Amino acid sequence: MEAKVSPQKFIVPIGPQHPALKEPGHFEFTVEGEIITGATVRLGYVHRGIEKSTEDRNWVQNLYLLERICGICSHIHATAYVLGVEALANVTAPPRAQAIRTLVCELERIHSHMLWLGVAAHEGGFDTLFMYSWRDRETVMDLLEGLSGNRVNYSVNVLGGVKIDVDEKQAATIRKGIDFLEGRTQYYMKVVTTDETFLGRTRNVGTMTYDQADALAAVGPTARASGIARDVRADAPYVAYPDFPIKVITERGGDLAARFVVRINELYESYRLVREILDKLPVGELTTRVPRRIPENEAISRVEAPRGELFYYLKSNGTEKPERIKVRTPSICNWATVMNFAIGLKLADMPMILAGIDPCFSCSDRAVIINRKSQSQEWSWEDLRQYGIKYYR
Amino acid sequence: MDITEAIQTAQDLLNLWTSGMSTPDLSRLDVVLAPKDLKPAVRILQKAHWGYLSAITGLDHPPLPASPDGKQPAKDGSLEMLYHFCEGAAILTLRVSAPYARPAIPSICDILPYATLYEREAIEMFGATFRGTPNTEHFVLPEDWPSGVYPLRKSFTGLNKPQKAN
Amino acid sequence: MTQTTITAPSTWQTVFDQVKTWARINSPWAIHFNSGSCNGCDIEILATLTPRYDIERFGIKLQGSPRHADVLICTGPVTRQARDRLLRTYEQMPDPKFVIAVGSCAISGGVFHGSYNIMGGISEVIPVNVFIPGCPPRPEAIIYGVVQLLQALKK
Repeated sequence: MEAKVSPQKFIVPIGPQHPALKEPGHFEFTVEGEIITGATVRLGYVHRGIEKSTEDRNWVQNLYLLERICGICSHIHATAYVLGVEALANVTAPPRAQAIRTLVCELERIHSHMLWLGVAAHEGGFDTLFMYSWRDRETVMDLLEGLSGNRVNYSVNVLGGVKIDVDEKQAATIRKGIDFLEGRTQYYMKVVTTDETFLGRTRNVGTMTYDQADALAAVGPTARASGIARDVRADAPYVAYPDFPIKVITERGGDLAARFVVRINELYESYRLVREILDKLPVGELTTRVPRRIPENEAISRVEAPRGELFYYLKSNGTEKPERIKVRTPSICNWATVMNFAIGLKLADMPMILAGIDPCFSCSDRAVIINRKSQSQEWSWEDLRQYGIKYYR
Repeated sequence: MDITEAIQTAQDLLNLWTSGMSTPDLSRLDVVLAPKDLKPAVRILQKAHWGYLSAITGLDHPPLPASPDGKQPAKDGSLEMLYHFCEGAAILTLRVSAPYARPAIPSICDILPYATLYEREAIEMFGATFRGTPNTEHFVLPEDWPSGVYPLRKSFTGLNKPQKAN
Repeated sequence: MTQTTITAPSTWQTVFDQVKTWARINSPWAIHFNSGSCNGCDIEILATLTPRYDIERFGIKLQGSPRHADVLICTGPVTRQARDRLLRTYEQMPDPKFVIAVGSCAISGGVFHGSYNIMGGISEVIPVNVFIPGCPPRPEAIIYGVVQLLQALKK
């Protein structure tokens, strides 16, 4: 593994062979003894040149490209994009389509939070919790597959609406699945709030105060765990959220434990929302027409991905292809927060803290390096993770 | 603050630059600023606690030849940086342009430290220059990327291929 | 709990029985490499480790180090930055070694084909033994692809 070595640098490539994180990346930490004194981030392994590629594809082709920025949050990217294109073209998708988009957004949030729960647990050495949560997550994967035909990259959106419908039988299956998941979630909540070993790794770890989170423009569950009531679904409701308002979930602790609690409470809120949408699904059309050539215009689309605010800027020039599409993913905001509040923390806490912001490498692409005063050493991510586990034994 | 209030507040805060303002839609306020006014504007927003910087978008405006009828003069290439601030549902965009020949605009990292990631991205993708930016290392481009090649400029059509004339 | 709807159980059962036989002879150690994937394929690969699919019962162990691995399971369209690391990982593996390319991107670059920063598929960089198509391929398809490789190894 190539590592940048200088006399004072300790390089820890979160190498490509990481069994659990599955994403190539690379961070840089300067340490003195156990304590981190400096941090920066460097991305690039997942840089696929997507923004440039959008300029070479028409509006419809771009939907299929942008859906694949991230396999975990594919639908929210597609949703941000279609909302942006609809804004450029000055059209609105019909209410039933917006509600179905919302339904899939929440199901995606459920799958994403459960995936994260497992991965974060694995980072701390809690493999049983990883296996349980991923097994239970299969339920929501089945629901999404039942609706769309695919477990990942559901491809539910089209420009102007959705291409799937929800009938009574599917609605009944979804309700059953949600009931099961709600029961399991109660177990997870119990573990993260009462298990002493777990709390030993998460309570008062990686604490970010309200003011720090505010000053660093944190977004998503990371911000909400520090008490910042920031959620695009409430601040700037889109798709059907105006009709199905959400409760913004916050915690005061700002530590890693709070980040777990926020996400689990968000699961409950998503279950509630899914049930409500199924009960009150509006009748009507699934699509509305969007022109092939979009007149010259600019639009901004903001949505709440499972990891936080996703920001799209779109510019049209009267042709079939976009002039410019800019994607700012939530993980970039969260990197900034970690790089700033990691200072003063223990190296052994880094695997869980990094997992705690629920980083999506493919959404932002990352890197790690460790600088020690006089030596340079190369660690694999597995080494760093084991280091954290042993430190707390 | 609701949207109308938020937009109004932003307009009042930035009243030095009213001549450059426009509201493309109900939730958006655009303000065109000269590079020297960027930092004062950002400071005003930060002090008033109006929103947070959500993204910096770069736009490439390649050079244009003069129109055949002579009505439009030739235009030099320029870069436009859009600073998007969000307060609730309201989005304020500060628009700062700089010509290719003199691309430097001030960095806002001493006011908003987290802006460094966005500035790094604009530097490598567009060849933007932010005076005083703390970190100019590559953010997403590979270590061996050729210098002086900016993927998001319109003139870039791929590596190992002849470039379109700039 | 909902059921998965794939091919008839008897087909899978035959496949699984064959693999169990093979696995008793020797069990391959696999490593996973993401060359720039969106993670879709990676989470489905990871899902094969979880109770519903449980690939480990076939003796396939997912390792961290290339020096002990027989099989390299790759995803992604190979970004420029990942290319050297992919090569290095492959070179560190002892012979005999085998490569499985998972997903459309690993096969051809997928939707990203033509981008300035990708090579366009694993076989642009290293030789590939098995291609598993899909965007992403489901865990059953991934297991099936791995089984194909194991059966070929048996011969």
